[in-house]
Order: sequence, then structure tokens, then C-alpha cells
Amino acid sequence: MTTTAPAPAAPIADPTPTAPRATRRRRRRLTPGRVLGWAVLLVLMLATLFPFYWMLRTALSTNAALPGGAADPLPVGLSGEGFRRALGLASVEESLADGGSGASMDFPRYLLNSVVVAALVTVCQVFFSAMAAYAFARLRWPGRDVVYSVFLAGLMVPTIFTLLPNFLLVRDVGLLDTLPGIALPTMLMTPFAVFFLRQFFAGISVEIEEAAKLDGAGRFRTFFTIVLPMASPAVVTLAVLTYITAWNDYLWPLLVSQSDGSRVLTLALGIFRAQSPQAAPDWAGLMAATLLAALPMLLLFLAFAKRIVNSIGFTGIK
Amino acid sequence: MSAVGTPTRPGAPARPARRRSQEVRNLPAALLFVLPAGIGFGVFFLWPSLRGIWLSLTDSTAFRAGGFVGLENYQRMVADPVFWNAFKVTVWYVLLNIGLQTVLAVLVAVLMHRLTQSMAVRGLVLTPYLVSNVVAAMLFLMLLDYQLGFVNEVIEGLGGDRVMFFGDQSLVIPTIALVNVWRHLGYTALLLFAGLQTIPEHLYEAGRVDGASELRMFRSITMPLLRPYLGLVLIVTMIGSFQVFDTVSVATQGGPANASNVIQYYIYEVAFSRGYDFGYASAMSVALLVVLAAISVLQFRLTRANQNDMA
Amino acid sequence: MRKSVHVAVAGSLVLALGACSSAGGSGSGGSGDEISYWLWDSNQVPAYQACAAAFTEENPDVSVKIEQFAWDDYWTKLTASFVGGAGPDVFVDHLSKYGEFAAQGQIVALDDLVERDAVDTSVYADGLLDPWQHADGSLYGLPKDWDTTAFFYNEQLVADAGYTAEDLWAADWNPDDGGTFEEIVAHLTVDAHGVRGDEPGFDASDVAVYGLGINPNFEETGQMQWANFTGTLDWDYLDKNPWGTRYNFDDAEFQKAVGWFYGLADKGYAPAAGVFSEETLTQVGSGKVAMGTNGSWATGTFKALDGVDVGIAPGPVGPTGERASLFNGVADSISASSTKQDAAWEWVTFLGSADCQDIVAEHAVVFPAIPGSAEKALAAFDAKGWDVSAFFSYQDEGRTFLPPITVRAGEVNAIASVAFEDIALGNTDASSLTAANEQINAVLED
Repeated sequence: MTTTAPAPAAPIADPTPTAPRATRRRRRRLTPGRVLGWAVLLVLMLATLFPFYWMLRTALSTNAALPGGAADPLPVGLSGEGFRRALGLASVEESLADGGSGASMDFPRYLLNSVVVAALVTVCQVFFSAMAAYAFARLRWPGRDVVYSVFLAGLMVPTIFTLLPNFLLVRDVGLLDTLPGIALPTMLMTPFAVFFLRQFFAGISVEIEEAAKLDGAGRFRTFFTIVLPMASPAVVTLAVLTYITAWNDYLWPLLVSQSDGSRVLTLALGIFRAQSPQAAPDWAGLMAATLLAALPMLLLFLAFAKRIVNSIGFTGIK
Repeated sequence: MSAVGTPTRPGAPARPARRRSQEVRNLPAALLFVLPAGIGFGVFFLWPSLRGIWLSLTDSTAFRAGGFVGLENYQRMVADPVFWNAFKVTVWYVLLNIGLQTVLAVLVAVLMHRLTQSMAVRGLVLTPYLVSNVVAAMLFLMLLDYQLGFVNEVIEGLGGDRVMFFGDQSLVIPTIALVNVWRHLGYTALLLFAGLQTIPEHLYEAGRVDGASELRMFRSITMPLLRPYLGLVLIVTMIGSFQVFDTVSVATQGGPANASNVIQYYIYEVAFSRGYDFGYASAMSVALLVVLAAISVLQFRLTRANQNDMA
Repeated sequence: MRKSVHVAVAGSLVLALGACSSAGGSGSGGSGDEISYWLWDSNQVPAYQACAAAFTEENPDVSVKIEQFAWDDYWTKLTASFVGGAGPDVFVDHLSKYGEFAAQGQIVALDDLVERDAVDTSVYADGLLDPWQHADGSLYGLPKDWDTTAFFYNEQLVADAGYTAEDLWAADWNPDDGGTFEEIVAHLTVDAHGVRGDEPGFDASDVAVYGLGINPNFEETGQMQWANFTGTLDWDYLDKNPWGTRYNFDDAEFQKAVGWFYGLADKGYAPAAGVFSEETLTQVGSGKVAMGTNGSWATGTFKALDGVDVGIAPGPVGPTGERASLFNGVADSISASSTKQDAAWEWVTFLGSADCQDIVAEHAVVFPAIPGSAEKALAAFDAKGWDVSAFFSYQDEGRTFLPPITVRAGEVNAIASVAFEDIALGNTDASSLTAANEQINAVLED
């Protein structure tokens, strides 16, 4: 482990190794500065969370009551119809009466599709990128640096540049409108993933590997049984980031997915909006659908909050 | 090992023969390790890049492959006012978005660092990052609506005039920038927060003993040591910011009258709704690539120049 | 940690298998065929679902899946689906859009099928079938309904202003001072202090009720905005319609008319661009707008507005002495990439037949293309107490004109919509249309 540069392993445990000292020193004196600081922080947190509340409030309202009650912080015309429409549970007549469009939405299917795509991308990308990162970081082989530079060059390539050709490619192999088609481009690697993991692998102590080699372990065995477990904080971080990114991807699934069978949650929202009646948008239904689209990630976050927050923090140490 | 990725090890001597043969022996294993990622890279990054460049030199449409037309698409691009507008609009967006986001992120990170170590705060701040851009756009479409939006009701209640957030040409880009700041602030702040945590506490202690105020310590201790992280975060978020699409697609569709027609959206429109011109769209993508490559090169230079001030 | 790696690998394999099995895309074949049918008007979904049910009764091995996408997204989605080779089997097509699809070979020419099955194409009302013939002579759609535009007004507000329905019907218009039409609109406008638009002391910056609402739909057809006015001029969109190659947006009278139209917002009689992001349906429904243009397809939704009684008046009589409206005939096209061409054709013929059009007529949403069915529709509208004579007035005592039908409509629309929106936003005046016109003509020349 290096000591001068910021140690990558530092935030594995509590991210503040100096915490005990800090709390010992922290006098609970409310200076004007502290008050101001807290005020600012609270305002920002409010601004962060208010839109979520508004989403809930509108989802529980009725469309007809919205124009009159735009300033009301509470739901107007309290009703669960918005959610029923978003889930496709309301009949066509009910929908039309409430200002909805009567179109059908297959939310459970979209949710499943999102899970499949995100999981597929995360598991495969992290795994294969880890393998490559290991080869770049710990193995010495001719051409290693050149290949790595080429991989890194991929970091500067904007998504849109490879988008159209990838679209043509996926279409030509017949994977358009399928879930693997959506997952494929990032499933094997992304330059970022390789870069990120390589940095971490490079920082792992060499001694342990040497010991394993002396014990007769082959490269693969060393990788799986020793190196990968040691890198688990980095791997988890990457997995979290990849999952979030894959889950929230919009443009690529928009192009690849044509029908319900391969639609993911981000697209569902667009579809729901596109199916709005010609009059006003079905705000209540739309907000309900938005909430439902955001819910899985939020729940996941609630469950793994500490892990995820620490992981994000870890990313900063490059 | 250095914190910033540099593939070559500085000062490496010419490899002695023994090491070289070891390297060659490593080759089969290494290749196996790299193979899946290599295939992924080749098939989904390298090949599309080459194909994209080829497409930009043809008159391909969405429906049929075209023939070689040389630099025609690029000539058209240079003469296209909508392209330059898209470029201008995007740069303006990036400046607003990254500028505000970075300043606020530093503020939040410092506040989190100096005021509280609460996990709750950090978690709450991160929440918008978890929802997709599409969700964020939809949310703010409602909140900022001219007729129904809560924000406008509040403004009117406070005695002001209603604001056409998405409908006013001069306001639409700042509005979209703000929406994305809302979404990315927490994430950026946490990145910087992690950077802040590498600053040894004893420096602040020493500062306090010397009687320095928080502001002074921020200027003299925090900022210089945070700079490498700041630089990195800045460039990475900037590259992402240039590629804004989701919000525009959901909220404004490039309007009003091209005021929010950012480059990635224009490319998408050209390819899929205005003439289905894949050749021209590819040419514009190449232009975007060049710009982003320039920025990336700047990144590597800057971060290498700003070596860790700790040493 | 080794175990978790194994779990991860196994998990991913399972997921991959799961993904492959669920990657069937749209519904599988099964025992019967399912054809997908796209349309854009949500109001018509119930009517066509009823048609689909009737169709499946007659053809038990074919079912129809109806998908609806709003107008704004419809054409992009359609094209994206063509590009992907996985589009709908049948879709509702529009006169101003189909030229491009035909040119790209994305829709099926129906002539052979019409001949083979001896489909009687004379049953349709005059002028509905011909526009669906491409410049190359092939037929690309079977007409299903037609529509015109008129003004939906708030009966109470109109009465309060001292007008009767006859006054609205008798209005005249010219591009110089707006004629009695502008007088009516001005008088209908009320500012926050109760002063009407034509009274002294009217505050154009603080309007409570606008006389005329403007739809936020900027298109080359102007159907939802100014077409009722420009149609009364001695002017047409193209040198030749359909299949012209030269637009006439540079015509001085046309520009004057467009300038007048968007200028209403400056006078305070109409809302400025951006004030309302929704169509006149919502605007009139909110009580903040007295009158607004919309199409005959929206009649049902206007009549269903809560708290507002709506009347319908046709466009004003213009300089040519007639009133005018854009006359749009909608038809169904079969997509060339459909794998179920036979079933698709069955569905299209059914849609184009009196059987289906009678069903649609009963729902009182649109005017079917077959005159017999159109009469049934009128009866259905009557039964609901809805007077839709305004939409027929143009054919009886006015002028109807087709939307501009050209190739490369997507590109043309993109240029035109920005140009018109720029004028509405006040960035430029109507003379900028000359430059836009040149751009459009350059596109059409390619």
C-alpha cells in the first residue's frame, strides 16, 4: 500500500479515520457561521427533496382539480386514480373520464425488463472489465501499454458517435427490439470500468500475489481467489455505478426498443406521456408513473444507503 | 502507484532479456484475461467509430446504405446555421450547468465536511442521482409549468410575474441546466467530499491554532489540496454535460424555435426525423468527438500539471 | 468472496437465459395472427377498438392490437420503427407525411390488392381518394375519415360580450385590419380590470380573458393556427398540390396574414407564445380564452368540458368572398416491413368498409369517408345535441383545400415550424418567411 498518495483502501471502513479526533474537538458552539452553514445545507436539502414530494402530491390528485389548486401543497382532489392509470389497472372509460388516455401500460413488464438489462450489464461488464484491468495492472506482456492507451482513448468518445453505427450493427444481427440488444454495447466493457479497476488493482500489494504464486496457484486462480476479493470495495463501487447508469439509460433503449416486450422503465415514462390525451397532459397519471419509475432505485437506495454513499465517495479517489 | 492513470511507467529502463521472456510467457494468460473486454471494445467501440467515420463520408440514410460523397456532409455542416446554433446552445448550457454545479458541489461538500458527518445528509443529497434524467425532466416540467407549476404560483404569490421557464427562449437553457444541476449535485458533491477527506485533519487543527477563520482555511488549505480532484471532476462532468439529451428530449424537444436544440438532440433529429440522414448525423458526431477529444486532452494535461500538492 | 463470484457468474447466466427467452419482442405468433395498428388520436381509440372487436368476430384467427401515440411523438416513433424493421403492420397515415414513406419504400402500394379483391374505391366521398395517389401513380391508403377546422367558443363569454352565434358566422376578415372578426375578438378580450379589448384603457399586458386562443402547434400546414385565414386568400401552399416542388410562403399577402395572426398577441387579444403550453381545448376549458381553433376530431372533448358550454362557428369569410378550411383526409397504410401482409390487408379493407366506418360513426368522433357512414355520424352528433354544421359549411358555401403534399415533409416541417415559431416569439417578423421559403424549396429541389 502506498502511503503518500491517497490510499484507495482508506474509505472501506468508516470514511473518516479522523472522526474520533473530530468529535472530541467539536465544541457544540453555535457560531453564526455554523448556523449559516446549516441553513444553507437545509435549504439545499429541501430543494433536493421537494420535487419528490411534489411528485407524490400530484400523483394523488385529480386532473380536474389541478388547475384550481396549483398552489396547494397538499394533494387536491385526493384520489388513487393516477396510480391505477399508471399501472394500467383503470378501464378505458375510467381513464378517459379522469383526463387520462385509456392506453394500456405494462409496468410490471417494464420493471422486469429494466432489472434484467441492468443486472446483465452490471454483472458482465464488471466481471470482464475486472479481468482486463487485472491484465493491465498486474501482468506484464508485450503491447500492454499500447492496448491500454487504446482502451483509454475510448473514454473520450461521445455516446452519440458510436450510437448510430451500433444501432445499425444491432439491427443487422437481428437483435433490435430485444433485451440483449439493449444490453450488448456496454455488456462486455466500458473504457471507464477498465480504467477505474486498473487503478485499483495497481495499488494492491504485490506480496500477496507473490505468495500465491509460490504456492503454485495459476494466474486465474490467483485472480479469482485472492485479487478479486481484495478488490471488492472497488468492484462494488463500479457495480453500483454501472447499475444506476444502466437503469437510467434512455437514448439507446429508445432506439433499440420498439415494442412492449423490450421496453424498459425509462421508456415507459416517455410512452405514457406520448399516450396523453390530445387535451392536457394527464399530470396525475404522469406523476404516478414517474414515481413508479423512480421507486425501484429509491427503494434499493434505502436498503443499501450506507454502502452506496460510501461507494460514491470511493470513486473520487482516483 | 500513481493515483492518476498513466499507462507508461516513467523512467523504465530498456527491458532486460530475462524480463522480456517473462513478459512473453505471460502473453497467453494476459490475452485470455483481456479477450472479452477486447472483443467488447473492438465490436462496440472501435468498429462503430470507424464505421461512423465512414458513414460521415457517405450519403447513407436510415433506410439504405449510401455511396461515398467525400467531404460533402462536412461542408454542409459548416454552412448549417442550425448546427452552429446547436453548438452555441450546447456550450452555453455546459458553462451554466458545470459552473453552477461545481460551485454548489464544492459548497455542499465543504459543508458536509466541516459541519456534519451524518450519513443521512449524504444520503439525502444523493437521492436525485438515482432517478433518471427522464424522471427529473418530467418532475420539473410540472413544477415549472407556466399555468400549473407550483414555482410560478409561489412567484406570483410573492408579487412577481410568472416565468416561462421552458417557454422563453432565453430562459430555457438555464432552466434545463438547473434541472440537471438538481440531478447531479449530490453525486458531484460526494465525489468532492471524498477528496476533502484526504486532507489531513491536522492541517485544519494547525490553522485553527493559528487563529485562521473557516473562510481563510478554505482558501489556503481546502482549495489547493482539493484542486486535483476538482479538476478531474470538472472535466468528467463537462464531458457528460456536453452530451445532454434526455432532458431536452422529454421537456422541450429542442424548442422553442431551436433555443434548446442541443447538439446531441439535433444529431438525433437529423438521423431519425428530419430526412433520416445518417451520413450527415455521423459527420456532426465526428465534430462532437473532436471537441470532446480536445477537452479530454486538456484534462490529462491539467491533472498531470496539478500533481498532488501534498507531496 | 469466492462464493459470491460464483454466484455472480451463475446469476448472470441465468439472467442472460432469462433475457433471451423474454427477448421475443412483441407478441409471438401463437395460433392466431396479431397485427399491430397505430393511431395518434386518443379520442378515437374506443371507436377503433370496437371495430377491432367486430373484425375479429368475422376473422377469428386475426386479432388487432391498437397502440396510440400522441401526434408529437407519432411520426418519430413510426420512422424509428421503420428503421428498426419492427414497425406496426398498419397505421393511420396523414396526407402531408405519406409522400416521404412512399418515396422510401416503407409503405405498400395498394393498387394490385385493390384490383385483386375488387375493392370498390368509388364509395368514398369526392376528393378523398385522389390525394392518396402518389406522384408515381400508386395508391397508398384507403380513406377512412376527413376533418376540417373551425372555432370553438365559450357560449357564455360570447353572450356576455353581446354577440350571438349568427354574429360569429357572419364575421368577415382581411389581412389588413382583421375585419369584423378582429372586432369580435377584441371585444371578447377582457383585461384584469374588466376593460374590453376595444374599449379605452385596455391593458394589453394584464389580460384576464383572451379573445382568441392560439394552439402551440407550429407546422408547415398551419392547420391548427392560421390556415382558416390564409385559405381565404388567393393563395395556396404550393405551385401544385399534391406533389408540388415550390412553396409560396414568400407571397406578400400570405405574410401579411401570418403577421396579423401572430400580431394578435401583441395587441393583447391572444396569449403570447408560451403562456399556454396546451391546445385551445385546455385554454377554452380554463375559462381564460373565449374562442380557439381546433379540428372536428376534438368536438367530443370540447363538449365534454366541465363548466363550459361550447359552440362551434366556422372560419370567417375572407377577401375571396368565401370561408375556407384545410380539408384533411386520413387513411390507413400498410407498412412494407410487415410480416403479416395478408392479415394487414384484411384489416385495411375492413377499416375502409362501411362495416367499420358505421361503427366509428356511432361514436361521434370523426366524419367517416363513406358518405353513408358520414350521415350516420351526423345523426350520432345530433343525437348528442352537438351542432357540427360548422364543419360542413366549407363544402357547402366555402372552400376546402388540401394540406401541402410533398416529399421530404419531415425536413420541410422542421424548417417551417421554427420559422413560424420565431415570428410568434417576436424574434422576427413575417418577412423572414421568404428566407425560410427558399430553404424549403432548396430541400424540395434535391
